[in-house]
Amino acid sequence: MNPVLELRGITVPGQPRPRLEGIDLTIRQGERVALLGASGAGKSTLLAVANGLLPAQQGEVLWEGSPPARSRRGRRLQQARIGTLWQDLRLVEELSVQQNLNAARLAVWGWPKALLNLLLPLETDACRQAMATMDLEPHLLERPVSALSGGQRQRVAMARLLRQDPVLLLADEPLASLDPRLAAELLALLLRQAAPPRALLLSLHRPDLLEGFDRAIGLRQGRLVFDGPIAAVHRALLTDLYEGNPPCS
Amino acid sequence: MQLRAAPPLLVLLPALVLLPLALLLPGLSHGGGWELIGQFASAALTPSLEPVVLRSVAAGLLVTVAMALLGWAVSLVLGLLLGVASSRTVWTSLTGSALPATGIRRLLAVPRSIHELIWGLLLLQLMGLQPAVAVLAIVIPYAALVARVISDLLDALPTTNVEALRAGGAPAPAALLTALGPALLPGVLSYGGYRLECALRSATLLGVFGLGGLGTELKLTMQSLAFHELWTGLWLLLAVMLSLEAGLGGLRRRWLMPVRFGLQQPSVGLRAREMVLVLLALLPLSLLLGQALGVQPQALFTWQPLPPLQNDWPSVLAMPWPALVGGTLALTLLAACLAVGLAPLLLLLAAPSRWLRAPLRLVWALGRLWPPPLTALLLLLVLQPGVVTGALALGFHNLGVLGRLLLESAADASPATEQALACAGSGPRLALLYGRLSVVARPYLAYAAYRSDVMLRESVVVSLVGATGLGSQLLESLSAFAWDQLLALVVVYALLTLVGEDLSDRWRARLLASG
Repeated sequence: MNPVLELRGITVPGQPRPRLEGIDLTIRQGERVALLGASGAGKSTLLAVANGLLPAQQGEVLWEGSPPARSRRGRRLQQARIGTLWQDLRLVEELSVQQNLNAARLAVWGWPKALLNLLLPLETDACRQAMATMDLEPHLLERPVSALSGGQRQRVAMARLLRQDPVLLLADEPLASLDPRLAAELLALLLRQAAPPRALLLSLHRPDLLEGFDRAIGLRQGRLVFDGPIAAVHRALLTDLYEGNPPCS
Repeated sequence: MQLRAAPPLLVLLPALVLLPLALLLPGLSHGGGWELIGQFASAALTPSLEPVVLRSVAAGLLVTVAMALLGWAVSLVLGLLLGVASSRTVWTSLTGSALPATGIRRLLAVPRSIHELIWGLLLLQLMGLQPAVAVLAIVIPYAALVARVISDLLDALPTTNVEALRAGGAPAPAALLTALGPALLPGVLSYGGYRLECALRSATLLGVFGLGGLGTELKLTMQSLAFHELWTGLWLLLAVMLSLEAGLGGLRRRWLMPVRFGLQQPSVGLRAREMVLVLLALLPLSLLLGQALGVQPQALFTWQPLPPLQNDWPSVLAMPWPALVGGTLALTLLAACLAVGLAPLLLLLAAPSRWLRAPLRLVWALGRLWPPPLTALLLLLVLQPGVVTGALALGFHNLGVLGRLLLESAADASPATEQALACAGSGPRLALLYGRLSVVARPYLAYAAYRSDVMLRESVVVSLVGATGLGSQLLESLSAFAWDQLLALVVVYALLTLVGEDLSDRWRARLLASG
């Protein structure tokens, strides 16, 4: 399988110690990777480097085998292939669900279409399909996001990701503030969407939810200390990762 | 398929006015003055530094600042009193009936609906040229504007605290002061600071129409095409204006912003004491300023006899009223569309580039401080007089005001959504449009509604360019001493402003309610 993300010798400086130090990591198509570590271990920083929010100063990032493009347009198209599910969702409250789903296409759309999207419903079929995949009623498309319930918003954010059609899904502790039932549902959805060629990299604060992942990586104080199959994750490793503070379970 | 413009698109739609404007402008230009415009622009980099010029500009600036400060201080005190006097809550607590409040409010609509320039020109006729005229011209409408805001603030506060104190046996005035005073203070300060900025602009403007200070200097240097001297005054004014804005912004943050993370929570009492001290310091300061300006209290009471009305009502009726009103409305609409639509458009074009942001801020700052009649005079060098020329001048000025507000509220909005969109590959401009302008769109449009109402009242200031409707007719009737025409024009203008105010209030309430 081809790699979708390669990090080579990534170091992100910080105080009192680097936020990331010498990270080497390759994620291939179809892999479902759980990112483990205590808070402050560098999980969010690693995801920010992976989606381009934090440009790599030391080390190299390769997206689908290529370094960040020189041209702005090329760079944007690369970034469009990496989808991020934000913990706070980051939907545009003032716009309708459909406009939000279409916002995922802005990287490929030009200005005329982007403006038209603010005036009339565009690409309704594709939006309906994304909604159906997320078990959302199609009539919600016209609603403003501000009128949705918490669970609906979570799914709309996922549907927006699908509209982006990324090869790599990134998620920063998406389950942290959800009740157990919603958390299990969302995790199942994410795992289901990560079928080849799409890969998933998800940071997790609850190692009890590892079932369904193929691989786990462990960060401690900005360093990669574990990279292996889920089966190899054992009690001692977890205690080590969470520095003696057992994770909430 | 239904068309419905989403908020971020809504803020850009007024900019469509650029299309008809682009078609109209070639026909309006006479092209004679481009060389002069070039000289004016290049003089910006080489302002005159001659000691004589510097001295006279500084003296003019001092007079303007003193007029602004004095007018502002008096209007603030007067406005506070009138505001309390027109508050429903206060009258209900004191007498049990809100009727007197409504009556006072109606009366205050009259001074409010007439622009300070009209007050200035009228007072100039009645009192002769003296420093007090400009101060009074600022005080009259400003006091009424402050009163309206104060009474609105007061009436929006919950009255349960007052009732609780009254029930505990406190006399009504003490209960009102204790329950409403502290809650009112932040609003008063925030709005008071804003009015000080307005007062500086108004004082400059009144100067352009001959009431003294820097404005008069600017107008004279402009008319004698002494652009280097003109820029000396403009840069100095810009420095004063920007430091005033920065200082007030600093105070606002110190006093009004909730302290983040609660690490340094200054006690409420301390801040309130600071605020009250600053307010009290105003009183002796204003007295000193008045003396420095040469305002003579007794001169305020020596009025020239009111001119007799000619009672030539048929000729008043024969004036082209529909054209006059239509011209004023067209000018306001054009200026409003330009200012409201261009601000977000320019922000979108310039914001992602660090190199363009600073010049944009500078142009907006110049627009704010540059008195619109001077812009109009400058435009007359290349354009024919008329509604479009006036609207361009008025629009440019308000673009500066709206642009600054838009920039500030966009900077205050959370960057998270914009960041998320940029991360998903949308360009920086589209991310700004979708992620940030969406958030500020409704409040911005609500403010734009208020600003359009201000522009309607303000449209008189560009009447120097002629053929702009009520404003230019007003100047004509004034110079012809046609008092009955003048009276009719002022009344119609005031009525128009009141209708505009009502419409903008309704629109604003609707925009904010649906948000």
